[in-house]
Amino acid sequence: MKMFDLDQGIADQLTEVSLNSAIQVRCGNSNAFMVTASTLIPLLQAFEMSGVYISASRGAAEVIQGFEAIGVDVSHIQFIDLVSSGILGGTTVPYSNVHFVDSPIMLESVLLRTLYILKTTDNERNFIFLDSVNSLAIYNEDRMLAEYLHTFINTFRQQEVLTVILNVPDQTPPLVLSNLDLYCTDLIDRGQVVIH
Amino acid sequence: MQPAGQYSRDRCITGVHGLDEILRGGIPYGSTVLASGTCGSGKTTLGMEFLVRGADAGEACAHFTATEPSVKLLENIRQFKFFDVKMVDSGLINVFDMDVLYSWLGLEKSSFDLDDVHSLIKAIVDIVNTIGVTRLVIDSVTTLCYKIKSEQLIRDFLFTLGKKLATLGCTTILIAEITSATENAHWSSFGVEEAIADGIIVLGDVERMGHLLRFLQVVKMRGTSHSRAKHAIELTPLGVMLTPMLKWGAVSDTHNRWGA
Repeated sequence: MKMFDLDQGIADQLTEVSLNSAIQVRCGNSNAFMVTASTLIPLLQAFEMSGVYISASRGAAEVIQGFEAIGVDVSHIQFIDLVSSGILGGTTVPYSNVHFVDSPIMLESVLLRTLYILKTTDNERNFIFLDSVNSLAIYNEDRMLAEYLHTFINTFRQQEVLTVILNVPDQTPPLVLSNLDLYCTDLIDRGQVVIH
Repeated sequence: MQPAGQYSRDRCITGVHGLDEILRGGIPYGSTVLASGTCGSGKTTLGMEFLVRGADAGEACAHFTATEPSVKLLENIRQFKFFDVKMVDSGLINVFDMDVLYSWLGLEKSSFDLDDVHSLIKAIVDIVNTIGVTRLVIDSVTTLCYKIKSEQLIRDFLFTLGKKLATLGCTTILIAEITSATENAHWSSFGVEEAIADGIIVLGDVERMGHLLRFLQVVKMRGTSHSRAKHAIELTPLGVMLTPMLKWGAVSDTHNRWGA
């Protein structure tokens, strides 16, 4: 069952990037899942990539169920769930591809867990999908988050792992936003018009 | 080939993800390194990985355990994906219970005098020499030193042991328990271990908004330049993994980092 049309423009734009690219994907509140699906589906199906999905905005189980509802197999994605540990019983999920980090404030743990997953995968073509910078900004101080994105993006670019960073720009502090613009190599803009 | 005028000692490559980079190639061979940490900070895991990585490279390794039975320790080693039980069967990993060693030496007593200390050193050195051990872990030197009542005797014990092990080409990690890893804390329980050791690796926790993040910091390492930055660590089936701790997040809550 498909509840929306995928954005073919995103798939076209993805053909232009290389494995050591870092893409900022801007979306709004209302189109976040459509933009996410339009980005991930080509990566999984057309480019036959595996990946790590860092879930800071919703529990991983909810994200997986969202993809299952539109008939997308996400078994090649390992999920790092930063939300559910803070919810009583939230870590009891029926999926073996979900890992948990205690809190979105444990930024270094997220990086190390991602590196660990990449070390255990056999696939040579991998992506990291960070959902989302604005969610991380709820918990983390601006300077720390900007510093983290700097480390995060450079670490994976160096390892030739495609980095995709989802962001709702009008919910992201200006310092973080400007740093994200600086570190990312590509921009897919499906966000709302923002005037700061 | 090194540029003229530069000299670097041969290294014991720890194999621990990120640690050899921090140490610019590894621990200088024959060093005695104090791994001091608070409870749950990962010091035993670090020591175990150091040995398993060594065994994986064909080195003979020994672990003297005073804090948990050897059977339990070997069970914990199985968590590592790179561990193979053949390492134990073929004699590359050797685990000794300190209690059993004390019993062999007739040292089942609450405190050790000079003669006891010397017979303990001799026993450890004999084992290292006989097996040809190149990597040794004593877990923990704190528990062991509780039996040595004078600071001077502790100093002599560690200095003599370190010197003899270095002569045999054995790189040693002495695990030490501390109650606090803040900047004002000592790196050892008795205050003398840190002066004797060639290197000090501190493990502890940084509290960030109610969550504890493990960190590792190389405070001192003779014979090599090294990073002195705090590194966040995770204990994984692939061993200890490190990444530099965020500069804006390395300070504990208690230092008013998040204050108004």
